[in-house]
Amino acid sequence: MKTQRQLLNGWGRTQKVTSEVVDLKQITDTENIFSEANGAGVIARGMGRAYGDAAQIAGGRVVIQEDRIDDSQLSGNHLTVHGGVSLNSILNSYVPKGYFVPVTPGTRYVSVGGAIAADIHGKNHHLDGTFTNHVSQFELITPTGTHQIDKDLDEDIFWATAGGMGLTGIIVKATFEMIPIESAYIKMETRRCTNLDELMAVMLGSDDKFRYSVAWIDLMAKGGDIGRSVLTRGDHAILDELHGKRAEQPLKYVANTKLEAPKWIPTGTLNTVSIKAFNELWYRKAPKLRQDQIATLASFFHPLDGVGSWNRIYGNSGFLQYQFVVPNGQEETLRKIVERLSAAGVASFLAVLKRFGAENKGLLSFPRPGWTLALDIPIGQENLSSLLNELDDEVLGVGGRIYLAKDSRASGPTIHKMYPEIDKFAMIKSKLDPNGLIKSDLSRRLGLI
Amino acid sequence: MFDAMHTPDNVLLVGGSSDIGVEIAKSLARRGTTRFVLAGRDLEAMQRSANAISSVATGEGVSVSVIFYDVVAEKSYQALLEVASTELETIDYAIFATGALGDQDEDENSPASTLEILEINFSKLAPAILNVANHMSKQGFGQIVVLSSVAGIRVRRSNFIYGSAKAGLDGFAMALGESLIDKGVKVTVVRPGFVKTKMTSHLKAAPLSTTPEEVAKATLAATDHQNASVYVPSAIGLVIGVYRHLPRALARKIPF
Repeated sequence: MKTQRQLLNGWGRTQKVTSEVVDLKQITDTENIFSEANGAGVIARGMGRAYGDAAQIAGGRVVIQEDRIDDSQLSGNHLTVHGGVSLNSILNSYVPKGYFVPVTPGTRYVSVGGAIAADIHGKNHHLDGTFTNHVSQFELITPTGTHQIDKDLDEDIFWATAGGMGLTGIIVKATFEMIPIESAYIKMETRRCTNLDELMAVMLGSDDKFRYSVAWIDLMAKGGDIGRSVLTRGDHAILDELHGKRAEQPLKYVANTKLEAPKWIPTGTLNTVSIKAFNELWYRKAPKLRQDQIATLASFFHPLDGVGSWNRIYGNSGFLQYQFVVPNGQEETLRKIVERLSAAGVASFLAVLKRFGAENKGLLSFPRPGWTLALDIPIGQENLSSLLNELDDEVLGVGGRIYLAKDSRASGPTIHKMYPEIDKFAMIKSKLDPNGLIKSDLSRRLGLI
Repeated sequence: MFDAMHTPDNVLLVGGSSDIGVEIAKSLARRGTTRFVLAGRDLEAMQRSANAISSVATGEGVSVSVIFYDVVAEKSYQALLEVASTELETIDYAIFATGALGDQDEDENSPASTLEILEINFSKLAPAILNVANHMSKQGFGQIVVLSSVAGIRVRRSNFIYGSAKAGLDGFAMALGESLIDKGVKVTVVRPGFVKTKMTSHLKAAPLSTTPEEVAKATLAATDHQNASVYVPSAIGLVIGVYRHLPRALARKIPF
């Protein structure tokens, strides 16, 4: 087997480690994946978009898979693909045929295996739930063999793997339901809100009328401007809503990377001043209210994918993303956290606010009904660690939690309290992996198993 | 493991009673590091260091252990790694802060003392650093901090035995860092000027002198940014940058 030691890190470019990287296609006997690895452990890696250390294991073995869609199968609305296939490849192949993925995060560069392992959510969570809600079965390679997992027949393993951060095994194939679409466009509404109260009232009042909804908040705004935001919502456009060229080729899908971030950017290029200026500009250019605008799928769902390797803009020290959810009825805590972040002057581009709908049975799945806020923060600000630890306590205190796929700094005990079903998860995992060979730096750092 | 702010879980401090080393360990403890191993000769002094580190720690369940290590002992590099890697699940952050100033005037007349100063500061320390570096390379990550000195940047007449040992250490550590660049292991060489510590308490402070607290602060800033080297205070880097290129005839006239 050809292996190679490679330097890896997550999307935040913080914890850089070396692991032995093995492509699954080079492994003839899947039993060898685990037996030949040295003591440090084995973890699967998709597109490397988890922000922290979820898809790496220092000194151990990282299993990657090809992003090849050529032998995917569509049966009715159900698509079966390899675990390494990206949503990008699926969209390129299936949007022209009239299908959209059931759930997409803010980037299309995630693999299907990663989507299940992180149990990703998107702008439609308030109505459609997470990605795994739409998965019917998957194939899982574990130290005890290869298992076909059916949502109805193997409930325990299914819901341990959904959100299980890859710790139950390597997802090599999955079947999920696609959304039939008439066009490659979104009918979009944009609405500017002057503060958090107004924003939350609008979202509570009318989010259910839109399949997709997300708000961007300017956390650099101070005083009366705290919580100023832009809410974008939309639905798949139907044929009757398209005109001109778009109506002639309604399913023509264009999603390009227009720019590439420079290879080297000095640490500190993004600072309070430059970010504040950007946020100000962004807010001013948004309309008070604009309805029935037609947007491409790529510009509506994946605006940041237009800039390749945008994670480099934070310089060598990297950045982290803080994402938490607080239950419905805990709007006060949300407000308090927004105010604390604004007061601390944490230099952040826009924070994303979203309403979550019903939760699923995923033992380590992140979403639960309530409000989720996500923001990028460059590393290097004084007292960032203690600020986030205090916010963790606020979140935990009202029954909320933070998202493991984004984490790169939380404490193990806090995570254990946020995910009370972790013991049940560990029990199911130990049946699939009795010797504890599947590990990641995330699981080691947080003592997950 | 490290978190996103480059705060380690596990720290090995070689030179467990070194004023500078302990200050660095305390700074890490304040940030949330919970597991420390102190290695050195003076067990009693290290126990005091351990208490000082524990008392400022902010993380849950802090534990500091103390192990005997004598840099000049036969194969001590091997013993150091064996014990440290047993005590710590992973060696995330290793600080090499051992050193001895010696007495230049006396040592010049004593080959045995000269050898000892070279061994303590360089020739017997380098294998220990290398051994830990190789271990980190295998574990796939790690941060090494090596306490060098401006005395090693241009070796001076007034302390050329200590200075040449530090020069060797500095060159060794810098190039070791280069060799590890794609291994996930970082080496940061710290070059303080005159530091007011118990090692220098009998000496008159030189211009641009600094304190262990300042050295610790600069060290963490350097490892946070993964810098290969740092001068403390930073101004002394400018001074030494000029001084190291002075012609010898001119340098001889400068009274330090």
